[in-house]
Amino acid sequence: MRVASTQYHTTMNSALQDASFRLEHVMQQMASGLRIQVPSDDPVTSVRIERLKREEAALDQYQSNIGALRSRLQQNEALLDGSVRDILQARDLMVWAADGGNTSQDVDAMANALAALRDSLFYTANSVDQEGRYIFSGTATATPTITHDPLAASGARYTATGNGDAQNVVVGNGVTQAANTTLAEMAPLLNALDQAIDTLHVPGVSVNDPLVRPVLTAALDGLDTALDDINTKIATIGGAQNMLDTLQDNHANVSLSNQQAMVTLGQLDYGAAAVQLNGYTTAVQATQKAYAKVSALSLFDLI
Amino acid sequence: MSIINNALTGAHAAQIALDTTSQNIANVMTPGYTRQGTLMVSQRATQAGQISPGDGVKVPSLIRFSDDYKNLQRWQAASELSQRSIPQPYLTQLEQVMGDDTSSINSGLDGFFGALNAASVEPTSMPLRQQVITSARALAQRFNNLNEVLSNQQTSISRQRASTVEQVNSVSQAVADLNDDIGIAQATGTNASALIDARDQKIDELASLVGVQVVDQPDGSRSVSLRDGQPLVVGGRASTLSIVTGPAGSQTLQLSFASESFTITSNRLGGQLGGLNDFERDVLSPLRQSVADMASEVADKVNTQFSAGYSLSGATPTPPPPDGPLFQFDSSGSTGVLSVPDGVLPADLAFSSDATKPGNSDNLLAVIALKGQPISVASLGSVLMGDANTQLIGRVAMQSQQNQASLATAETVRNQAEESWKSTSGVNKDEEAVSLMQYQQMYQANLKVIAVANQLFDSTLAMMAG
Repeated sequence: MRVASTQYHTTMNSALQDASFRLEHVMQQMASGLRIQVPSDDPVTSVRIERLKREEAALDQYQSNIGALRSRLQQNEALLDGSVRDILQARDLMVWAADGGNTSQDVDAMANALAALRDSLFYTANSVDQEGRYIFSGTATATPTITHDPLAASGARYTATGNGDAQNVVVGNGVTQAANTTLAEMAPLLNALDQAIDTLHVPGVSVNDPLVRPVLTAALDGLDTALDDINTKIATIGGAQNMLDTLQDNHANVSLSNQQAMVTLGQLDYGAAAVQLNGYTTAVQATQKAYAKVSALSLFDLI
Repeated sequence: MSIINNALTGAHAAQIALDTTSQNIANVMTPGYTRQGTLMVSQRATQAGQISPGDGVKVPSLIRFSDDYKNLQRWQAASELSQRSIPQPYLTQLEQVMGDDTSSINSGLDGFFGALNAASVEPTSMPLRQQVITSARALAQRFNNLNEVLSNQQTSISRQRASTVEQVNSVSQAVADLNDDIGIAQATGTNASALIDARDQKIDELASLVGVQVVDQPDGSRSVSLRDGQPLVVGGRASTLSIVTGPAGSQTLQLSFASESFTITSNRLGGQLGGLNDFERDVLSPLRQSVADMASEVADKVNTQFSAGYSLSGATPTPPPPDGPLFQFDSSGSTGVLSVPDGVLPADLAFSSDATKPGNSDNLLAVIALKGQPISVASLGSVLMGDANTQLIGRVAMQSQQNQASLATAETVRNQAEESWKSTSGVNKDEEAVSLMQYQQMYQANLKVIAVANQLFDSTLAMMAG
């Protein structure tokens, strides 16, 4: 075929342009370490990577929820531990008070100590968070867990006003975990304790009195029941934390495999890229040399 | 003594050939220049008798080395190339904007649902509730940003179309004028080659603006029409293309020729106009609809779920859907499609499903679950809320990839068509150098013949003198 003189220039130009485009692409890939620069470089893979990123974002959030939930559970646990100490102390006092050798002055003094513990248990049950919301009221967070009515009859002054509902925290895709502990059971204990304290305060009271003893026994039983309840709650919190550990491990494993998949799909193979870069560079050099030779050929040089 | 006359015609023809060669060499780099050759024919003898060899040589005309079929190929390739190259920058911008890790709708949705998830840890916490509102605003902003990019592209396409139409008109007029000029040149016996080159270049320019059909007329003019046959240039008259803007800002092309006007509805316009139409019809308009659908569906689902719950104070949140309680969707919004009004307060978020239980998070969990629920988006159908944007990106990526492949093919075809055209019409310097030497020799030889004739004449005179 006949070839026009300018065709050499055109061919050279388009060859150089092609080569620069490819070189630039490889260099961008190398600079960013990413095989896919824009989604159209590989639409299907970039959709896959996008989906993995979405899953990663969700996993990150679950992990951070687990962290926040853990500290909430620990706070609950610490408060419950305090109540357990109060209950044990109250139980010791109550056992001591039930001893028939105590005078009415003795039990009156013990009643004062018991009253302090009763109030401590009451305040702990009505603990609030930094924003003034009741921690142990279930989902009725604006209502005190236990309401105290000083005007009511002894033994009925404390009423549970919270509820027993769980506040569920998202810790996985469709997985929730209760973040709260409820303390509605504290009301019978506080009432029994309150009645015992009132009784022990009566001047000249005798703990051997058949009318007094059932009150003391009831308070003692109340303390035992509450202790069991709260210990069960503490154990549940421990169980929940173990569950969170497992879940966190699972999330970490899934996240690791996602990240590996993203690397496999999206990262540049530097070896292959370097080979490509060399190939393109050689092609440019060869084209340049060929052009220099061809364009030096001219019959006009010989005229 | 025809010898001197014959030699003179030879020398004269050689001069014309040298002129032509010099013109070719001068235009070796001129784009669109069609090389010319010298047509030589021998003159038959005018003297009677069997022994008259003839009256030398004459040059009746110059030859234009041109192949109309190759011209047509070049023009078709120009249409195809610009049809593919015009939309590519738009497609690339869309891909980059939509695929960007930090500013995409996807990361906005991640942020919003992340904030909702975080709020489930302490549904009554004000900072966590505030974060939900803040991230809802960020999500709305991302929708608005993308929407703005899309409307900017729409504006830019409309402007580009308008300026392309103007160019079509001015180039069509230029072709018509050249048709006239060529007619005059041919009638007066002037070499019209340069004018024909200019016209072919103009038609090439026109072909890259819009796909054309070119028909040669017997009078030497070229008629140009759109692919569907509407006339752009007939002889010395050009038609006028104009844009009719519809009430919704949509543009329709109209072509007026003499007193007639046609509305152009073709889907195979070709060239830049065709490329702009294709992109608008196949990519931009569906995408704008999809993004608007996504924004509307997200707003609707989230609003509906929130309005089923109760705020921290136990109230049913206001306003009811579709204008609240969280998102406001406005498809024609000048400031954006999606917004979260300033009046939305953290305590108003209806996380609880029971008016008496502010710490309840059942409704919040229901909102979180929306991410995995289907929404209906134009050109995607029913897709999960969390996956819709990813699928849109995938769609644009595939459209871009397809266009890039077509563009690469069109480039190759155009280059090949150029090369093929040049192989007939382009100048080759070496070839011209050969011609230069040959015609120089021809000239010298003819002058030598005159010298010989002169000697013969001298000899005759000397003989007579003697």
